[in-house]
Amino acid sequence: MNTSIPAISIKGLTKDFAVTLRGVKLRAVDDLSLQVEKGQVFGLLGPNGSGKSTTIKIILGLLGATVGEVKVFGVPSHQVESRRNVGYLPEAPYFYRYLSGYELVRFYARVCGVPKAQLKARVNDVVDWVGLSQAANRRVGTYSKGMLQRIGLAQALVHDPKLIVLDEPTAGVDPVGSAEMCELILKLKRQGKTVLITSHLLAQIEDVCDRVAILDHGKLMVEGSLLELVGQRDRQALIVDPLPAAEIEALREWLTSRGHVLNAIEQPRARLDQLFLSKISRTGHLGGNPGVGSNVVPSSSVPKSSASAPSSAPKA
Amino acid sequence: MSALSVPFSFNRLALIASNTFLEAVRQKLFNFLLLLAVGLVASAQFFRDFNFGSSELKFIADFGFGALIFFGSALTITATAQLFFSEIENRTALTLLAKPIWRAEFVFGKFLGVFSVIGVFCALTIGLMMALLWHREGQLMAANPEAFEAGRIMRYGDLFIVGVLQWLKFGVLSAIVLLIASFSNTNLYTVVTGFFALVICHLQYLARDSWSNVDSLVLRSVVRLLSFVFPNFQLFNLSDEIGQGAGLDPMLAGRVALYALGYITVIGGLAVYSFRNREI
Ligand SMILES: Nc1ncnc2c1ncn2[C@@H]1O[C@H](COP(=O)(O)OP(=O)(O)O)[C@@H](O)[C@H]1O
Ligand SMILES: [Mg+2]
Repeated sequence: MNTSIPAISIKGLTKDFAVTLRGVKLRAVDDLSLQVEKGQVFGLLGPNGSGKSTTIKIILGLLGATVGEVKVFGVPSHQVESRRNVGYLPEAPYFYRYLSGYELVRFYARVCGVPKAQLKARVNDVVDWVGLSQAANRRVGTYSKGMLQRIGLAQALVHDPKLIVLDEPTAGVDPVGSAEMCELILKLKRQGKTVLITSHLLAQIEDVCDRVAILDHGKLMVEGSLLELVGQRDRQALIVDPLPAAEIEALREWLTSRGHVLNAIEQPRARLDQLFLSKISRTGHLGGNPGVGSNVVPSSSVPKSSASAPSSAPKA
Repeated sequence: MSALSVPFSFNRLALIASNTFLEAVRQKLFNFLLLLAVGLVASAQFFRDFNFGSSELKFIADFGFGALIFFGSALTITATAQLFFSEIENRTALTLLAKPIWRAEFVFGKFLGVFSVIGVFCALTIGLMMALLWHREGQLMAANPEAFEAGRIMRYGDLFIVGVLQWLKFGVLSAIVLLIASFSNTNLYTVVTGFFALVICHLQYLARDSWSNVDSLVLRSVVRLLSFVFPNFQLFNLSDEIGQGAGLDPMLAGRVALYALGYITVIGGLAVYSFRNREI
């Protein structure tokens, strides 16, 4: 396939829902154009009701576009072919509660045509990778919200798709769970996957996304790389030991004498979520890789979980 | 592009069917079915004191088929609607239909899953009924051997065939309910409309009979059209002489079976067509 084909291309997409019997329309997505290149982690942000999930459902062919064109790896999204290399974790996912976690992932693997010979290894790999091996034989009906998100990620990854679409993967999940979700996303990125992720929790997104787009009332407000959008290129921060007032004055004078300005003096703070994570015992089970990618230690700002805690069960 | 194409797959269809069947099993639907079937057959036992010879056997058979038709219809409508809407309402259809599968595989997979569930119910009921008949016939034979000079009088093969035909009829009904579900928004609406359709399918022959003498060509054509659109469920009631007398005409049974398969195919196709662009 031509490498210049974007993973997702959306052109002039508009989606109207008929919300009353008399045909009053609600415009959920309004003339949206976006492009997600291969290998990017792309964040689709916006308040509730801004049309994020609707856009995603159109990308997956679950809804039809009213106007416009959506292509996934160059294939129009209403064709079955377009979903071949896509994994999807729906918003607030809910799965067949009468299956065990293992059976669930196996079912989706077979639906996606994972060859019989690889089925078992593949399912075990992804279940392990999302840290659910301990709970794999329990009924999905007994899973907590965080576990549902993880098993949802496992079913989205089981056929080794090139594009992974995650709709609010961290909504309603505790900080430990969502930090682990972020780690998993970064691992996917290192394996060269394209990830489209939505959220209204901005701090989390910031750590993982290369590019973001912000939607409001279905309209695209802004789109660009994180550095372009929020990097302050005309500012720099120096972190030093506590200085007495006199020395700060001296520093200011020194800077002024060289034509620089001391803009602000602040007490740097750790983020609350990082404090939380450092105080909570983490029982993650981030195991091996489902794909061929490397098993590198994450370099994100999120602390690495202890990968060797085999006896403890995942958080309920 | 052809290397990319995803062909229709009976494998996936079977997967969805077996998952649907598994749902019925794990949600304890079968415990209920078993109870129902045992209850039905046990209640037929109440009539054992009638002791009026071969007509008692016929009574048991009629009772059994009546119960099969009544409970089977109710089961078909509710189970089809339930197993379909559990996917939609629990939003599991989102995940499933976002996979590279055809909507037709989903609809026919659901159909086959439900059809198997009903098949188990029919097999249970008919099986128990035949066992009961066999047992009772043996008792009657021992009591007055003269009446059974030529051996057993029940035709168990015919009972089996009529049971299969009823199963196929439930298949037609299930396809109708799936068609309704494919565009309906709620489980309740689907069940209620399904029962209406059931009544129409059972009674449409009355309309055809009484209206065929009407002068107005328009009215006559409307009735004719309706009787064509709705399958005639009366055709499946071959149980009047069931298991006794001259026996079942195999040609007739074959024609009725084809009639059912034809309707299942066409109505199922319509359901796929209507579900094709449904917004999930
Ligand atoms: N099936 C639907 N029918 C009618 N309106 C809908 C439907 N789905 C979503 N909407 C409306 O479209 C808008 C966008 O919804 P959604 O895409 O779910 O927002 P987000 O995911 O950004 O929170 C909302 O106003 C919502 O009420
Ligand atoms: Mg949403």
